Amino acid sequence: MSLARALRYFAREACLNLLRGWRVSLLAVLTITVSLILGGAFLLASRNLAGSVEGWRGQLRVVVYLKPGTPPSGLPRLAAVARAAPWVARVDVVSPAAARQRFRETFPTLADVIDSGEGEPLPASLEMALRREQAEAGGLDAWLDSWRRRPEVAMVDDDREWLGQVESAVAVVRAVGLVLGGILLGAAIFTIASIIRLTAYLHHEEIAIMRLVGATEFFIRGPFYVEGLIQGLIGGALASAGLYAGYQLIHARSRSLLATVLAGQFLSLRQLGLLLLLGAMAGLIGAVASLRRESL
Amino acid sequence: MIQFFHVSKRFPGGQAALEEVTFDIARGQFVFLTGASGAGKTTLLRLIFREEVPSDGQIVVNGRNVASVPPSKIPYLRRTIGVVFQDFRLIARKTVFENVTYLPRVLGLDSRKQRQLAYHSLRRVGLAHRLNAFPPQLSGGEQQRVAIARALINEPDILIADEPTGNLDPDLSREILRLFLQVNLRGTTVVLATHDRDTIQRVGGRVLTLDRGRLVSDTTISGTEPPELELSPEPEPVPEAEPSPAADSPPELERSPESEPQPERSPPEGNPPEGQEPPVEIPR
Repeated sequence: MSLARALRYFAREACLNLLRGWRVSLLAVLTITVSLILGGAFLLASRNLAGSVEGWRGQLRVVVYLKPGTPPSGLPRLAAVARAAPWVARVDVVSPAAARQRFRETFPTLADVIDSGEGEPLPASLEMALRREQAEAGGLDAWLDSWRRRPEVAMVDDDREWLGQVESAVAVVRAVGLVLGGILLGAAIFTIASIIRLTAYLHHEEIAIMRLVGATEFFIRGPFYVEGLIQGLIGGALASAGLYAGYQLIHARSRSLLATVLAGQFLSLRQLGLLLLLGAMAGLIGAVASLRRESL
Repeated sequence: MIQFFHVSKRFPGGQAALEEVTFDIARGQFVFLTGASGAGKTTLLRLIFREEVPSDGQIVVNGRNVASVPPSKIPYLRRTIGVVFQDFRLIARKTVFENVTYLPRVLGLDSRKQRQLAYHSLRRVGLAHRLNAFPPQLSGGEQQRVAIARALINEPDILIADEPTGNLDPDLSREILRLFLQVNLRGTTVVLATHDRDTIQRVGGRVLTLDRGRLVSDTTISGTEPPELELSPEPEPVPEAEPSPAADSPPELERSPESEPQPERSPPEGNPPEGQEPPVEIPR
């Protein structure tokens, strides 16, 4: 028998099996769908978080806060020192008055707090935009330490510190997604294996006859493998559709920062393909695992 | 064709089903295998089509040592052997056509060839008009004939039957037995296991007798009422529409009440009569 004809036969038999036992098949498909939706949701969140972090990394910034009382005349000199460094793209000098104005605009309800005292409550600062490639080349940490040691500097705020924390969070999200998705996928494989084993049991008389007349094991098992594969593919497709529906729902209902950060962009075609492939593999593994013994 | 050399079969736990069984069945022979229940008849048959492997000894079927056939080649061995059981083993939810065409489907033959083969095979057992019936709609005798048609669909070299008349009344048993003899007339080696001594006495022929796993006799007896036999019909063109009951008038042949093993015979040869399709060749 040619492979093409065999595959046609397998597909037809698999579809018939799926239709005959559609309730149990639906259970298997839904198990795969749920596991892939969960895994996919974590993938979506981590993809968007990672994308946001990447974006923020492209706009790396270091803020040097000066001690109160630093004379305004010293600010241009310090700015010139900063500009001399190769990783500094731009330096904005923020005077205490400009800082106060910015605070008022950002937190209008708290304006009274800074207006109640005498003098300027906020320190002057130098906001440095960094060139990413040069900054990552090395030497930045030592340079920032030299700033920290200057007598007129009160504090150096390095964006990379919290970005590192966000990256750790992304890794945790990814790991949790992998673990939960993996557990659920394992459950899906188990469900498919049980269902295919049950289907094979229901066909045991027919299988015995096929063996008797000289059917090869490949011919006997093929339809069951294809059945698992189809269940997995349907599960993967439903999961992709479910994820897209959820993504659209979040976008339609929420414009919050969290929604943008977690679901700013949908999964790439490659990632959707991966979901389908995972579903198909889960189905196939379930089928192979269920029929691996000679007791079929 | 079938040779057993000192074959023993012991099941786990040490229970011996066969002990030192040796015999030789030539091509084209019709052999009864008899013995009380538990004598080892079924085990012996299962050894022939490699459902079991011997614990000791050698079994050669069609020139092949079946014990050493690798698992991947067992299907090819089985395609040369037709098997019929007491309980018919038909799938109730499948039509007669579907039940009969398992092997053509396995071989990947197209639906036209499947239909041809099914029709030819069912015509041989007189059931060409029941292609679309389901097994529960058939009598016990008809179901057994469908099972025989399934076993014969690829013209096997050997036909094995395990108590094929065990579930049938005497009239139907005679009908089924006559079918096996007709199949044998066309050159197929037939091994028929039965514990029905009356049938054996009536038909006669070579008889292997087992007792508690041992071959206690290998004799040839003359039948008291050997049946008159007709050669089963030659293949003829398959009707395009629903096949109608076949009206056969083949030449009447008598099976000689031989009292010794039949010589090797080949299936009828030569071209089919004009206007008839040649038999469908199917791969194995």
